[in-house]
Amino acid sequence: MSGHPVLRAARSGVTGRRVQAAVIGLVVGVSTAASALALGLIIDANAPFDHAFAAQQGAHATTTVDGSKATAAQLSATARLPQVAAAAGPFPETIVTAQVTIPGVLGSLHLPPVTLAGRASPGGPVDDIALDRGRWAQRPGEIVVSRDMPGPTLQVGQRITITGTRGTPSLTVVGIGKSITDSADGWVVPGEVAALRAPGASPAEQMLYRFRSAGSPGAVSSDVAAVRAALPPGSLLGSQSYLTVKLQATSSIAPWVPFIVAFALIGLVMSVLIVVNVVSGAVVAGYRRIGVLRSIGFTPGQVVAVYVWQVAVCAVAGCLGGVLLGNLLSVPLLGQTARVFGVGSLAIPVWVDVAVAAGMLALTGIAALLPALRAGRLSAVQAIATGRAPRPDHGYAAHRLLGRARLPRPLTVGLAAPFARPARTLVTLVAILLGATAATFAAGLSTSLDRAELDLSHSGSEPVQVDLGAGLVKAKLGAPRPPGTEEPAAVQQRAVEAALRAQPGTLRYVAEADAQVAVPGIPGGAWVRAFRGDASWTGYAVITGRWYHGPGEADVNTYFLTATGTSVGGTAAITSGGKRVMVRIVGEIFDPENGTASVLTDFRTLAGVLPGLTPRQYDVALRPGVNAGRYASALGPVLGQDLGVSLNGTDPLFVSLLALVSALTVLLMLVAGLGVLNTVVLTTRERAHDLGVFKAVGMTPRQTIAMVVSSVAGIGLVAGLIAIPAGISVHDYVLPAMGHAALTGIPPSLLDVYQPWELALLALSGIVIAAGGALIPAGWAARTRTATALRAE
Amino acid sequence: MNLLVQLSDVTKRYDGGGAPAVDNVSLEVGHGESVAVMGPSGSGKSTLLNLIAGLDRPTSGSVHVGGDRVDKLSETRLARYRRGKVGMIFQFFNLLDDMTVADNVLLPAQLAGVPAARARARAAELLAALRIERHRDAYPARLSGGERQRVAIARALVNRPALLLADEPTGALDTATGEEIGELLLDLNSSGQTLVLVTHNPDLAARYASRVIRLVDGQVSTATGAR
Repeated sequence: MSGHPVLRAARSGVTGRRVQAAVIGLVVGVSTAASALALGLIIDANAPFDHAFAAQQGAHATTTVDGSKATAAQLSATARLPQVAAAAGPFPETIVTAQVTIPGVLGSLHLPPVTLAGRASPGGPVDDIALDRGRWAQRPGEIVVSRDMPGPTLQVGQRITITGTRGTPSLTVVGIGKSITDSADGWVVPGEVAALRAPGASPAEQMLYRFRSAGSPGAVSSDVAAVRAALPPGSLLGSQSYLTVKLQATSSIAPWVPFIVAFALIGLVMSVLIVVNVVSGAVVAGYRRIGVLRSIGFTPGQVVAVYVWQVAVCAVAGCLGGVLLGNLLSVPLLGQTARVFGVGSLAIPVWVDVAVAAGMLALTGIAALLPALRAGRLSAVQAIATGRAPRPDHGYAAHRLLGRARLPRPLTVGLAAPFARPARTLVTLVAILLGATAATFAAGLSTSLDRAELDLSHSGSEPVQVDLGAGLVKAKLGAPRPPGTEEPAAVQQRAVEAALRAQPGTLRYVAEADAQVAVPGIPGGAWVRAFRGDASWTGYAVITGRWYHGPGEADVNTYFLTATGTSVGGTAAITSGGKRVMVRIVGEIFDPENGTASVLTDFRTLAGVLPGLTPRQYDVALRPGVNAGRYASALGPVLGQDLGVSLNGTDPLFVSLLALVSALTVLLMLVAGLGVLNTVVLTTRERAHDLGVFKAVGMTPRQTIAMVVSSVAGIGLVAGLIAIPAGISVHDYVLPAMGHAALTGIPPSLLDVYQPWELALLALSGIVIAAGGALIPAGWAARTRTATALRAE
Repeated sequence: MNLLVQLSDVTKRYDGGGAPAVDNVSLEVGHGESVAVMGPSGSGKSTLLNLIAGLDRPTSGSVHVGGDRVDKLSETRLARYRRGKVGMIFQFFNLLDDMTVADNVLLPAQLAGVPAARARARAAELLAALRIERHRDAYPARLSGGERQRVAIARALVNRPALLLADEPTGALDTATGEEIGELLLDLNSSGQTLVLVTHNPDLAARYASRVIRLVDGQVSTATGAR
């Protein structure tokens, strides 16, 4: 086979049909980008911790050493142990108590104990801290806080006051960062740690290690033992294995994997369909030219080679551009995913880029080869005749029937068009269906996540909490109670309740006590929340059963039921301090609690097993229209400095998730729209001559646009209607799968999320995709000169 | 003479330079006239017809038809002009294969928003007059060439245009059928229909046109009376 004529014919095929070449390149490019992104998401969703851990050179072990027992030289020497691959430190470390002011809220909020490490820079051979915002601390008085620091979400510029040390120093937040192994809650310059340490506290040093062998808990323990042995006895105060952190990270990731995978699969299937459609359509549209090539002496093999080359040139360009686009898109999208997963930064693996590009090229080649082989076997005359128009008789009846409809003629002509190419119509329908299904699923998922966030944060039902923690300690540890006087804690509670009753805006409140109890069958026991008074309004969604009515009854989470093998209606034993009480389980509540068992019950249920149980906090509901922030700022000064008033805010995790859902949905709808664009371009090219006839007999540009858009609007409407049950099915399948991964059932309120008006709007999503994809080629068709179109064959 | 068509110094050049397809042509056609435009292949006959029909725009000069400055109309107004003032017949009929005969004929009326009953009545009247009513539900592919051209004529006349433009209307037909179509056009002209006919058949021009304009290399070489 002579190569030159083939290459020349292929080149002229590309340059002579620039629009088609551009569409092939564009579709292959966007599909490659979507596939790379989809596959990257699946891979990263399955192993984000490992990725981030490797990228940030996470510490296999984070150790705390007593600085008064081990010298800096001894600590540095541990870096040379044969087990140690790399080490960082010693970094001075301390645990502080702190409070923070929240904009718009008067008074201060107490933070849980904060671990601070002194580091001159975020980088280093171990534990390369990812800085999300701001910069690293450069001088005393500055702090970088961990994104996952317990307590309220802090912003750059906010100030934290360290309590319990001389002078109550104040630190300005200059950056927000994240250590993959949570080595600290915040970082300051090394020289400042000593000034923040509580009076009399021993100096502590942090050492971070990467070991040569750390694949199992046993290996890490053995490595840590070697470090312990190398240090003075008793100086190693504690260590945390990266495997523990990984376990926690994985359990928090698991619930989100099903929805990421659902989106990714939709994207992959849609990309494959659209690429096959565009490439085979392009070859079929070239049948007439194939006939001409045959007539001037091209062999069947050469014809096949011409078309495969022609498509390959566009596909290679598309693949390269697509890989680039996919990686560019991955920066914000995987960044979002990484934030959701709390694991630093993520990127599409190189092997995914290579595999997707190779797969897409192979797919394109096959899609081009099959119709080209068929065309190559046709005689010149047959190819020319076949290439002129769709197979005769297809769609004639549709034209006839729709011609009688009382609709404008351009619309009925357009609506009948899909029947001329049933296979292409089917592929287009599936592409729109997948896009609309993604939209329906995303709409439901967003509502479910919104409601889950409300259920879990309790921000809707009890937006304000009064923390008795610090005051309670003072009340208990204060001067001995004179005989005949009341328990100080009880006095404090009465004072709080009086303040709550007096505070304008209070709707209701309930005292809550928490305790760890033993339950047969649950290793580590269960976390029990006991309420003094009616707490049915606190916002726990009931999955099955009902809210408890009095002492002896309890609601438990799904994990409790699974671990104990009980069910609603059964009983469970709660044990503490050698005493036991039996409770009747009356309801299953939505309370994942990161895979721990939880029990909600009346305060009186625990009177026998926990006689000294004291409320830890008050949960407060507000009257409609009352601003929680203003309420808290007004209540704070009334309660005094020893009592913390906190707000149940929106979890940033859910905000990130909703943004991720939106981004993925928009991307999928764009790909579907591109599939429509391809179909319309192919059909418009094929029917260019008919278009000329329509214009010649008086079709206006606006009527032309209406005709072209309506040629896919019908498909869009059908796809949108099918997408409603399809999207709901995906939602109803994926949500329980997410719940299952989070070890919880899903309450009906999170499943029954679709409102009739919302479904009606979602049914139009197919038309939106169709119209969006068709508008550009419809505009081209409207602008085409009539004489030019009439000359088209 | 009551003018229907007036072309003044019309030139049409296609992209890429070279000789103009129509070169400085001026032409007038009165109401009720039948004018044949003749010339060899590539002489610019069809381009001239396209310019009168508003299917293409001149590079320079002006085209007036029935009071409209056709070369200055927007695309939308051009479409309205084509559906209201002119009807076109093509050599290869340009019927839409996936529509029945009746639907093809009705199309310009439907695009113009003519009430359905009135459009149907007009189509039936034309199909009867052109003796193709038995084919009203047939598809064009099943008709003979002559029948197809009759359908095209019916479609061209459905909106009662002032001007009928025919581009080689018998070029794809055998002699006998061509005669039939020629007679039909003659009858139409006799009933007052203005006709501009492009042909390279001198016999057709001589028999069915009252005036013949000859184009050579885009320029009017002679204009003579005929018939």
